[in-house]
Amino acid sequence: MELGREVLDQQVIDARGVPMGKVDGVILELRPGEPARVAGLIMGGTTLLWRIHAGLARWVERRLGGEGHVTRIPWHRVLKIGVDVKVDVEAQASPASHWERWVRDRIIGRIPGA
Amino acid sequence: MSKLLEIALGLVTGIGGFLEAGSLATSAQAGAEFGYQLIWAIALGAICIAFLVEMGGRLAAVSHHPLPDAMRERFGIRFFLVPLVAVALVSFLVLASEIGGVCLALQFTTGVAFRWWALPVSAALWLFLWKGTFGLVEQGASLLGLVTLSFVVGALKLHPALHQVGAALLPSLPTHDPAKYWFMAVSILGASVSPYLFYFYSAGAVEDDWDEGYLGINRVVAGLGMTFGGAVAVAVLVCAALVLHPRGIQVDRYEQVPFLLTEPLGRWGFRLFAASLAVACFGAALEIALLLAYLVAQGFGWRWGENLRPRHAARFALVYTAALLLAGLVIVTGLDPLKLTIFSMALTALSLPVTVMPLLVLMNDPDYLGDRTNGWLSNAAVLCVSVVAAVVALVTIPLQIFGS
Amino acid sequence: MSTAREVRLERLLGKLVVDAYGLPFGRIEDVIAEPHGDEYLVTHILIGPNSRLAQLLASAHELPTLRALGLGRRPRIRLVPWSWFDLTDPDRPQLRRSVADDGKA
Repeated sequence: MELGREVLDQQVIDARGVPMGKVDGVILELRPGEPARVAGLIMGGTTLLWRIHAGLARWVERRLGGEGHVTRIPWHRVLKIGVDVKVDVEAQASPASHWERWVRDRIIGRIPGA
Repeated sequence: MSKLLEIALGLVTGIGGFLEAGSLATSAQAGAEFGYQLIWAIALGAICIAFLVEMGGRLAAVSHHPLPDAMRERFGIRFFLVPLVAVALVSFLVLASEIGGVCLALQFTTGVAFRWWALPVSAALWLFLWKGTFGLVEQGASLLGLVTLSFVVGALKLHPALHQVGAALLPSLPTHDPAKYWFMAVSILGASVSPYLFYFYSAGAVEDDWDEGYLGINRVVAGLGMTFGGAVAVAVLVCAALVLHPRGIQVDRYEQVPFLLTEPLGRWGFRLFAASLAVACFGAALEIALLLAYLVAQGFGWRWGENLRPRHAARFALVYTAALLLAGLVIVTGLDPLKLTIFSMALTALSLPVTVMPLLVLMNDPDYLGDRTNGWLSNAAVLCVSVVAAVVALVTIPLQIFGS
Repeated sequence: MSTAREVRLERLLGKLVVDAYGLPFGRIEDVIAEPHGDEYLVTHILIGPNSRLAQLLASAHELPTLRALGLGRRPRIRLVPWSWFDLTDPDRPQLRRSVADDGKA
């Protein structure tokens, strides 16, 4: 499996079939004396920023004091990789839906007819 | 829905949806200035957009990925951002032009200056998207768009020499003012080959759940739809060629444009002109606002869909809301909508290689298209037109800005 | 006993790899993992051309029209075993051995 081509930037679908975001990063675990393993997926926060401009990402992380609202999905929760990546996690319960909920509660939800 | 009905609806979308502020303005200007000479540019633009729209539909039907989603996956975030920003910027300017078009139509009918209509028009557009479904937007706007057929009626009533119109389908060199001629040719191409058209069509194919069974319909709708749509733009050009050109009236002020229909159709001509302008631009504005939301939401994997209630796709709704508000504000400033339109069209042509190339690469990737990748003709046609249009735009835009 | 370390795939992609002599070897195109029981273990790294021009020609190669015009060039991609890499500094990946052009040590 080519991790960059088949996993990175793919659409993530949660346990309920709801779009959860895109795979912004893949975590590889290096173990001394053993082959490295694919540990999991990571979405959100500054992950994407690191790929666009490392210097900017470093600056933002210093201001935020961390990575921001990231969602880590351990590899054993990844169910299927195909047209998209199906995971055994609920979007609603994870940090992935943080900004969606924020916009819904603070902006869109306040407009009548939403 | 039966396939025949789908084709009919697709054709209606092509006819009703092709004409908008850009094609109206550029066709009118071209006809007024150069008579029939630039009809070839409309034809070339229509052919090119037919290819691109077919590709967008095929991509969605075979890969089940809308274009922005596929672009992010295939190219990674860094190389996705470049076409994303290009398409978003250019489309935003076109959105402002469309809002300007609706406002001008309202100014023609009520006498109230266009800038005061900007925010009410933005609000009306927003309400349509907020409350409507994808079907409503797609079909409603295009059915109403059939009023633009008034231009065809008007053109026929002016009794154009059809053999002359036919002859103009072949490219010709200008008899005067070559810089302006080529600038107009490029603007016409930019008006026809607008990225928002094929990006939106691709998203629409996914919203409508197309699969490989739709490939035939896709080809018919793209080909015939854009051909008929192009014919309406040619009708506008013919009207301008027969009404304005003989009088030496150049379309550089928007008040001159309604004459196109008042001469062949009298008082009804004026009303039909205003209605055509308003409806065509309104429909295009809806599509572009939605497109901007698709671009961002699909590129970043958010929930999206016009059929969803706004609270279930909050960030998606936020994008089109913000876009409509900002575009409306551009028109409130009083910026001349006609100048904005012509400029956006030229800019579109200039950005074509950047906005078209990602689609072209995807269309040749068997991972996405299986054995339905592009034939040599699709590739060659689109590549040629994009590169040539951009090169000519690069040369003529500065000439136009500094020469006039 | 040293602990496991985390390395991000997306930050590896595109990074320039140097060989044991410090000479540029290529850029990381992708990382290959194979299933091994319940897990996926990293086995190889795909190395592509390191110059921007070569990358551009590789992209041009994807379009049949440009290929027909002779404008694209098939990029040289090498499959290098993961164990040959020294990733103590993920921003500067190094090959532990010198590698001949055909990918063999």
